[in-house]
Amino acid sequence: MTWHIGVDIGGTFIDFCAHNSDTQALHTIKVLTTPDNPGAELRSGLELLQRRHQVDPSDAIRFVHGTTVGINTIIQKKGAKLALITNAGFEDVLELGRLRMPDMYSLFCSSAEALIPRDQIFGISGRLTAQGAESAPLDLVQLNDILARCHKQGVEGIIISMLHAYQSPAHEDAVKAELERLAPELFVFTSSEIWPVVREYERGTTAILNGYVHPRVAGYLGGLEATLSELGMPARPLLTKSNGGLMQAETGKRNCVSMLLSGTASGVTGASWLARQAGVDRVLTLDIGGTSADVALIIDGKPQFGKDEKIGDYPLHIPSVSVSSIGIGGGSIAHVDAFRVLKVGPESAGSTPGPACYDRGGTQATLTDALAVCGYLGHAPMAYGQLTLDLTRAFVVVGEIAQKLGRDTASTAEAIIRVAVSEMFVEVEKLASRAGIDLREYTLMPFGGGGPMLGAMLARDLGMQHVLVPHRPGVVSALGGLVSDLKGDFVRALFVPCTVKSVPLIQEASASLIAQGNAWLCEKQGFEAGGDVQISAEMRYAGQSFEVDVPLKQEWIETGDMAAIRCAFDARHQDLFDFNDPEAEAEIVNLALITIGQTQPLHLEQRPLQEAEAQRLKQAPMQMAGQEHSVSIYARDSLTAGHRFAGPAVVAQEDTTCVIPPGIQAHVDGHLNLHLHFNGSHTDV
Amino acid sequence: MSDIHFDPVDLQVLANHSRAAAENMAYTLHRTAHSAFVKETQDFTVMLSDPAGSTFAVPMELGATWYPGLSYGRALDMIKDYRPGDIAFTNDAYSGYLATHTPDTHLWKPIFHEDEIIAFAAGHIHNTDMGGAVPASLSRSLTEIHQEGIRFAPMKLVREGKFDETILNIMASNVRKPDLNIGDIKALIGALNTGERKVQSMVRTFGIERFRKGIIAVQDYAERQARDLLRAMPDGTWQFADYADEDSDHANPCRLNLTLTIKGGEAVLDFTGSDPQLGSSLNVPTGGDPRHTILLVGVYYVLNTLNPQILMNTGLTRPFTCITPEGTVLNPQFPAAVGMRSLTCARLRSVIFGAFSQAIPEKMPAAPAGNNCIVNVMTMDERRGRNVISSVNPVVGGGGAMPHRDGTNGSGADAAYLRNTPIEITEIETPVEITRYGLTPDTGGAGRWRGGLATTLEFRVFAPDSRVTARNRDRSRFRPWGTLGGKAAGLSDMVVNPGTARETQLGNIDYAVLQPGDVLHIHSAGGGGRGNPLEREPWRVAQDVARGYVTTDAAVRDYGVVLDQGVLDSKATLALRAEMVDALPQGHFHFGAERDAFEAIWTRQAYAQMTQLMAELPVHWRFFVKTELFARLGHRADTLPEAFEQVRARFPQVPAIGIKAET
Repeated sequence: MTWHIGVDIGGTFIDFCAHNSDTQALHTIKVLTTPDNPGAELRSGLELLQRRHQVDPSDAIRFVHGTTVGINTIIQKKGAKLALITNAGFEDVLELGRLRMPDMYSLFCSSAEALIPRDQIFGISGRLTAQGAESAPLDLVQLNDILARCHKQGVEGIIISMLHAYQSPAHEDAVKAELERLAPELFVFTSSEIWPVVREYERGTTAILNGYVHPRVAGYLGGLEATLSELGMPARPLLTKSNGGLMQAETGKRNCVSMLLSGTASGVTGASWLARQAGVDRVLTLDIGGTSADVALIIDGKPQFGKDEKIGDYPLHIPSVSVSSIGIGGGSIAHVDAFRVLKVGPESAGSTPGPACYDRGGTQATLTDALAVCGYLGHAPMAYGQLTLDLTRAFVVVGEIAQKLGRDTASTAEAIIRVAVSEMFVEVEKLASRAGIDLREYTLMPFGGGGPMLGAMLARDLGMQHVLVPHRPGVVSALGGLVSDLKGDFVRALFVPCTVKSVPLIQEASASLIAQGNAWLCEKQGFEAGGDVQISAEMRYAGQSFEVDVPLKQEWIETGDMAAIRCAFDARHQDLFDFNDPEAEAEIVNLALITIGQTQPLHLEQRPLQEAEAQRLKQAPMQMAGQEHSVSIYARDSLTAGHRFAGPAVVAQEDTTCVIPPGIQAHVDGHLNLHLHFNGSHTDV
Repeated sequence: MSDIHFDPVDLQVLANHSRAAAENMAYTLHRTAHSAFVKETQDFTVMLSDPAGSTFAVPMELGATWYPGLSYGRALDMIKDYRPGDIAFTNDAYSGYLATHTPDTHLWKPIFHEDEIIAFAAGHIHNTDMGGAVPASLSRSLTEIHQEGIRFAPMKLVREGKFDETILNIMASNVRKPDLNIGDIKALIGALNTGERKVQSMVRTFGIERFRKGIIAVQDYAERQARDLLRAMPDGTWQFADYADEDSDHANPCRLNLTLTIKGGEAVLDFTGSDPQLGSSLNVPTGGDPRHTILLVGVYYVLNTLNPQILMNTGLTRPFTCITPEGTVLNPQFPAAVGMRSLTCARLRSVIFGAFSQAIPEKMPAAPAGNNCIVNVMTMDERRGRNVISSVNPVVGGGGAMPHRDGTNGSGADAAYLRNTPIEITEIETPVEITRYGLTPDTGGAGRWRGGLATTLEFRVFAPDSRVTARNRDRSRFRPWGTLGGKAAGLSDMVVNPGTARETQLGNIDYAVLQPGDVLHIHSAGGGGRGNPLEREPWRVAQDVARGYVTTDAAVRDYGVVLDQGVLDSKATLALRAEMVDALPQGHFHFGAERDAFEAIWTRQAYAQMTQLMAELPVHWRFFVKTELFARLGHRADTLPEAFEQVRARFPQVPAIGIKAET
């Protein structure tokens, strides 16, 4: 027996996914998180897996973990006490940021407080020019005073971020060496070792985020390794990364910034893998949890990447799977304003106290309570039997809203759902218009505990024709870890014109990136076979203030074919922005490399289709599409390949509930995915 | 308020779908625009309006913050016979009062359902240049709109889907960067088409009747929200004036005056008493529209601050009525120049903040810095052998101290829409060395809550005759005011070679010519303080000192907090604070010595007399007479009537009018 185990920690649950590579069996479970005792849930989950599905930890050859420990450290502001050393005269760069602020119509607007307060930021003499040459020498003697103040303030680690360090790390390295000599007890990160790109604020904050979470993340991963080895697991734990790939947990202890979006990114990886299995390559993913809904686009089978994702209030500037977070989830609270207008969110009951109907202390009407009142919930054990549904409480809290609106409880519950869906609608429309795509050509893939409850309603509003509900929507992130590859990102700032003059520099940079990538993959990740390499140039027209990622062919670099590079850039610019300018001067700002070590592919059993009407479990009255319907309820476990049925329907399963409004045809495929097609748009997949 | 019934449980749903449509338009424009003005500065707006031209949806994340209450009505009516596929446009500040200076080009497209117009998709972009006397079409020195570039009265640019090439050709041959203009106009047209498509999809979702009612209902909702906020304020009348440093090059202050009357959920903003229209481009063209959006920008900030959930659309302007007498700076007559109206608009916002600060003192912050200075450098790039012109960084901030928090440092309040450029990018693209970019100690007004700190930018140039412009400076003479015992903030300044023998103070001058090795220092004003500085907890003052926001000396002088090597001396602090109680600022506002000295000469009475006099003078005499009065009052004359007599003696041609004894 050989098991591959994927584990993902969320706000309420920790999800497990165990795949047997001999039998292709896939087992999933969820256990409630224990915020006070992290690690205990891991133990209890693995025990449950063993009890329910005979998964013996000593047979696990692969263990992949996604964790929110990094992001939670930032959101809860519980990170390390840091000092920042930068150039004298630029101590306020961190506070000023890029100036433009959210809520810019408010006189009270401000940016989030910097992770390092101004009295722990120190400027020292020394300056490099934009070409990386020294225009003023470093004065390392100043470090003695700085360290004295650091000690007085109880600083645990130091970040060094100096101007033009992307061109030359000389000043940063010299400061680091001196600090390590003078204060070996402090950890030190430089901006150029973490992510050496141009733009001082973005580079500096990336290094700061890395240092801020470092002690907690390293401590957590150390504990994880200890727990697994106590359980006799032979696998060395792997960690899911923000870039949708994997790295050794050992690497993550110092390279912490690359795992901040760990679970979120692997959700998209898992979704894109599932979509590929189902033969779908343009997907909008919708992961709804207790406090938020995460949406992402998969275009032509590939997750999209950005360098401007948000971690709480802070921007993250390393390549990450693009996921937009919407502040609406199952715990979002409904209320009626002074003008009798119904609103949902942004306040959320989260997972504690949670929706009123979970009977864990919640007293306000939430989106989940509205779903309960409509009759959708409670037709199967919830969350593997770990939650109970108290319908009476749901009716009480939604009834209070109904009274304020002067209407009946059932239609109020539906109105709450409509408002919540419209909040998501705004954000998804923005995402689509940013990407310049037409959602009508896309499939919605809802997952997470709440996605399948609302997915079809959102899809209808967006004009989408097809919804794909995976077989186990509750554990897509955990599965994502199992289908990911080792993946490292490397970058080199160039800032050169896209002309033949730049060829030697580009060739040298490319060779050095490839060497870095190989060293990472083989030495740090222990990958034996040769990895894949993808090179891209980040390019722009001179004067533009943003770059476009242009995938390059290695032969273009080897032969110095700048015309091909230029052509690819113009074409990409046209794709993204609907225009280009082949006459204008173009620049290569960065050369970026992704190195990939492919892991053993996962295979899922594909069942033959046996076309048949699905057998319903029972029928129950529910509020749907503006009126009461007698709705068929199906048990997900009894639906097999080839089954068909029509909405209105509800599909109940242990990790979620799928709500299928009238006017939809449902059909189960060979991987037991559920396909929903709006009437008049039916095509077989 | 209209009495259309729309089921309130679906109001938020329709508002969300409307906003999604507007956000879609904004992203389409932002994504496909060509110029840095649209792409980076985000000087653009998009909106959806009802058939009468009232805005019912705007984006909340992208674009400028000025136009959510815009009404396209007058400009819409100047075109007859809209047909599907038509797109109209204008950039003329004096036709329809839609555009407020020549670079702003507004476009609108009717959206049809069957044979009827059910909405308009509209928006504007700031074109980099529309021709005229100077590059970028904007200069304070210009005196009539004809110098500010080519103007197009409202006309069809696209007829039934087909571009009018003649218009494009005329534009192309009159502007300096035709490709940028046309590229951006096409991007805006793409956004309007997106808006049209999204509205049609809303009609399918909601049905035509609910759509029609819904877009009115969301405006009614915004109106109710605004009235509700006004009703929560006490009824009453409050007066407030503020000054721009100069009304033209090297000249006299420009006063904006507001009498705000709040009564029963409505407000009248009477701007009578503001200066006559100016012989510079600082005029704000409103056509006397009582609800012109540009007059109400300060109001949007106030409403949104009081209720962040308020819907932004024309509905919220309905409870407000503005009075702007013709021939004044806020309602100039054709052909007064208007290009640099954004400087005046910054002061217009602070006048509104000051009036509301008296009406609802417990909820309003002190004055924000209010100078949105944009710095451009033109210098020789020796390495590449060519001249470069580039924007270095905005020098702005901070916000006024809030009722619950210190003012935002270096940005915030009504300057929060601006972005900066990374230092590294500036140094790569422009041959300058930035020697300092950061916050300026002691520039935030002292108070229980401290005002936000000013920004300092310093850079060195390497080539001879490098030219720097710093447009929209201001606040080098009249400080951002403090409230409720809080002190006024630090002034802005521009200095060449600070701290050297060759130091030159530039005051409010907005350009400089630098020679190799010269360093230019610019700092903005800060934000005003709020509340008694002696009530600020000593630990906060100590923290400000540790963070370099306040110097040890200022801690003693402004806060009565004594620190020894950074450590609080509680006993000495207590004693010093007891001594300082008498020296506290009195009254609601603290303006600082400069404004107090100015107002000792230019008293309220003097201004009232001048206002009355100006009202009687023909418009073309007003700025001239104002300038002559300034040359005399406080110098050769002690009262305004005396100054006016001297002017009339010197210039017997001045039309015969008199001053009433009392006003």
